Amino acid sequence: MAADRQTHNIDNAHDSSTGQISGTARQKRRSARSQRRHAMTNRRMFFVMLFSAVFRRRSRAIMAVIASIVGAATLFCLAAVCVAVPQQMTEDMRSYGANLIVTPAAVAAQSHQSGSTGISAAAASKVSAKVTAAAPARSASYRYENVRINAAPYVMAGIDPAATKTLNRHWDVEGQWPSAGSVMLGHDAANALGLGVGSYVTIGYRAADNGANGVSGASSGDSSNGPNSTSGSSGNAAADGNADSGSNTGDMSGMSGMSGMSGMSGMSGMDHSAHNHGGSTGSGSSNGSSDSSATSGSGSSSNSSGNSDSSISGTSSGSGSINNGTDGRASTDILDTKGTQFRVSGIVSTGGSEDEIVYAKASDLAALTGVTRGADVIEYSSDASGNSLTGLVASINRDTALGAKAQQVTKITSSNQRIITMLQTLFWIVSVVVLVLTLVGVGTTISSIVSQRRNEIGLRKALGAPSRGVGLEFHAESALYGLLGGLIGTGIGYGFARVLGLTVFHRVIEFDWALGAASIALSVLVAVAASIPPVRRATRIDPAVVLREE
Amino acid sequence: MTMNNASTVATMNAAKADTATNTTVTNTATTNTAKGSDMLLELDHISKIYGDLHAVDDLSLTVPEGEWLAIVGSSGSGKTTLMNIIGCMDAPSRGSVALEGRRLEDLNATQLADVRKNVIGLVFQKFYLVPHLTAVENVMMAQYYHSVVDEQQALEALDHVGLKDRAHHLPGELSGGEQQRVCIARALINHPKLILADEPTGNLDETNERIVLDLFRELHGQGTTIIVVTHDALVASCAEREIMLNHGVLVGERWNDEQARLAYEQSGGRPAFTGSSAQDAQHEGTAVDFSDPTKKAKTAGLSE
Repeated sequence: MAADRQTHNIDNAHDSSTGQISGTARQKRRSARSQRRHAMTNRRMFFVMLFSAVFRRRSRAIMAVIASIVGAATLFCLAAVCVAVPQQMTEDMRSYGANLIVTPAAVAAQSHQSGSTGISAAAASKVSAKVTAAAPARSASYRYENVRINAAPYVMAGIDPAATKTLNRHWDVEGQWPSAGSVMLGHDAANALGLGVGSYVTIGYRAADNGANGVSGASSGDSSNGPNSTSGSSGNAAADGNADSGSNTGDMSGMSGMSGMSGMSGMSGMDHSAHNHGGSTGSGSSNGSSDSSATSGSGSSSNSSGNSDSSISGTSSGSGSINNGTDGRASTDILDTKGTQFRVSGIVSTGGSEDEIVYAKASDLAALTGVTRGADVIEYSSDASGNSLTGLVASINRDTALGAKAQQVTKITSSNQRIITMLQTLFWIVSVVVLVLTLVGVGTTISSIVSQRRNEIGLRKALGAPSRGVGLEFHAESALYGLLGGLIGTGIGYGFARVLGLTVFHRVIEFDWALGAASIALSVLVAVAASIPPVRRATRIDPAVVLREE
Repeated sequence: MTMNNASTVATMNAAKADTATNTTVTNTATTNTAKGSDMLLELDHISKIYGDLHAVDDLSLTVPEGEWLAIVGSSGSGKTTLMNIIGCMDAPSRGSVALEGRRLEDLNATQLADVRKNVIGLVFQKFYLVPHLTAVENVMMAQYYHSVVDEQQALEALDHVGLKDRAHHLPGELSGGEQQRVCIARALINHPKLILADEPTGNLDETNERIVLDLFRELHGQGTTIIVVTHDALVASCAEREIMLNHGVLVGERWNDEQARLAYEQSGGRPAFTGSSAQDAQHEGTAVDFSDPTKKAKTAGLSE
């Protein structure tokens, strides 16, 4: 304050003493006349000096800008990938398995001898309402039936292709998802049958294969065959293992080790356990109940179909094409090789149990079986996680009136989280390194610029520039380097991120404007910060020392 | 030192800086209210000491407004040091400097910078133009730090030094003489009371030297005070008054213009003097002994 006052006084003294000098007076008049215009002109002069320092001395400027570019490009690229990829990973990971699976409650399953109806539409919508109330969720439902292709047993799943596709984006589908009149074969199934996309396959349905629908078949099977019930239970055991381990191989080995009949019993056992979800169902909490239901179902169904096997195998291959146009319907005839012809629209390969299954539209399956019923499994991919998901599961299970049983799947989501955390940690480490490198790069360049321009700085001070003014000019210059570098670097970084996203992560990374602005701002900030030590040195330059050198 | 003694004797007369004369001159020349003196520059026993080297040794000198003074001497005689002190870019180790009656040692760095930009125009041997600014921008830079930028005025200044058509060239595209003229235009742009020129023709050929000297003459004619540091006899001879330094010690003073000298003495000006007896530079006490009233030292006429 005191210093200010002093300066003021001195200025006054100076003004009064120089008042008679015509030039100064003229100047004063002029400045009084149009102060605003002058301020503008001075500001313009500031930018003239700034831009000429940057653009007329390109060789030095380029070094500083390049340092900024490298920093900004690396950081933006990393950040863009780190923002975009976890988002996608969360989505992808969730699609690797729903985090919530709903199956018919034990009560419902046990009573399926009198006709398993799966989860009724009413129950399904109630459950869905509950799930979506907790958090946004997507769902897909599956209805499983045992069918025959060339007399060999296969599981056919009735799905809503669109919903299933949304939920299982990791499924690698060659060709198309099933539409009306066409099916999508699991990769292994297609191999076993020698079918490719565009081939035709005749699929037969026998109520007897499916205890659920053939009440009479089930009852007759029950009475006839003792040993088969044993094999039926072994099939169930395989199905259990399937649910636990997340693969269908246990199931298949169980099948291969059995006779045709017991194989089928295995299949029918599978039918009611959540076999298709091996990949995602880590929890076995419902196994006990599905076991019991499966046992009863499979024991009965396998018996009834066992008789037919030997005779069918010979004839089915020839008869496949004959049955064109026959409407698929429930049949109890064990020799019947009739079926419905479907076009193979696509082949799905997941590396999981899905590879064994034949997928068709739920409506096609209903037409084939002649029975419309609810789904055996509904998968949910809920955005809820942790406690809220646990609570959701508990609340569904509490509500016995729903007739549905919920299970939570936690395995994937936690590893998902771990990967994202790792990625982000890596991002921070690399960011810090890059930031330091940028600081060093820009700082060194500004340092060399300052020492190269010592004379100029000395001159400016000799002309009356205050230290603060000199500092401001150099900081502004650094900021300009940072801005240029930030703009170019962010562009380049985005280019890299995009290429990286396309080649490695198979997705288009959109330009994140907020991130772009942050990247540019950071470049400017880093450049200014890096210039603090050299600029401090610059402001300490003594004009006398500089101009004295001769 | 013999010279010092001789000059001491010779110039006793100018001793009386009587207030009467002072007042009259002040009335005619200026309405200056700050001090009783009309001396633009007053050096009072200034010394600049680096270790045991006395770059400037106890020099007292007054320069009235409008005077053209040349400081001559060989390399290392302390000319540039003296110029830096006068130009508010360096402070003396001892003694005091007053510019327009204000004592510079009382001022802080910012205030010195203010004085520099308001009172002094600097011309350098090496020009020190900013290489990435055009001629006119270099001139405008001086305006920028002084007060306000006025491109028209800057162009006029360049026109004045004969560089109208070179105004938008970078210094690298100008010849040495042209650069020096830009430098002079820059020094003049803020209408300083004092032009300080350090070897202004040191890097110029004869033709350009003449141009520059003509410019100085013109400025002098307009009443600008000029202090030129040079070792060039021709440049020095253009000045009204010359003082000679040798190893930081004043060794002589000469007037090239008797009228100017008379005016100077009339206004109460005294010859420059040094308190140092050259070889016996350690005799600090001597200067103190010869303090104000007694010590009308030296070199009135001619030490050369």
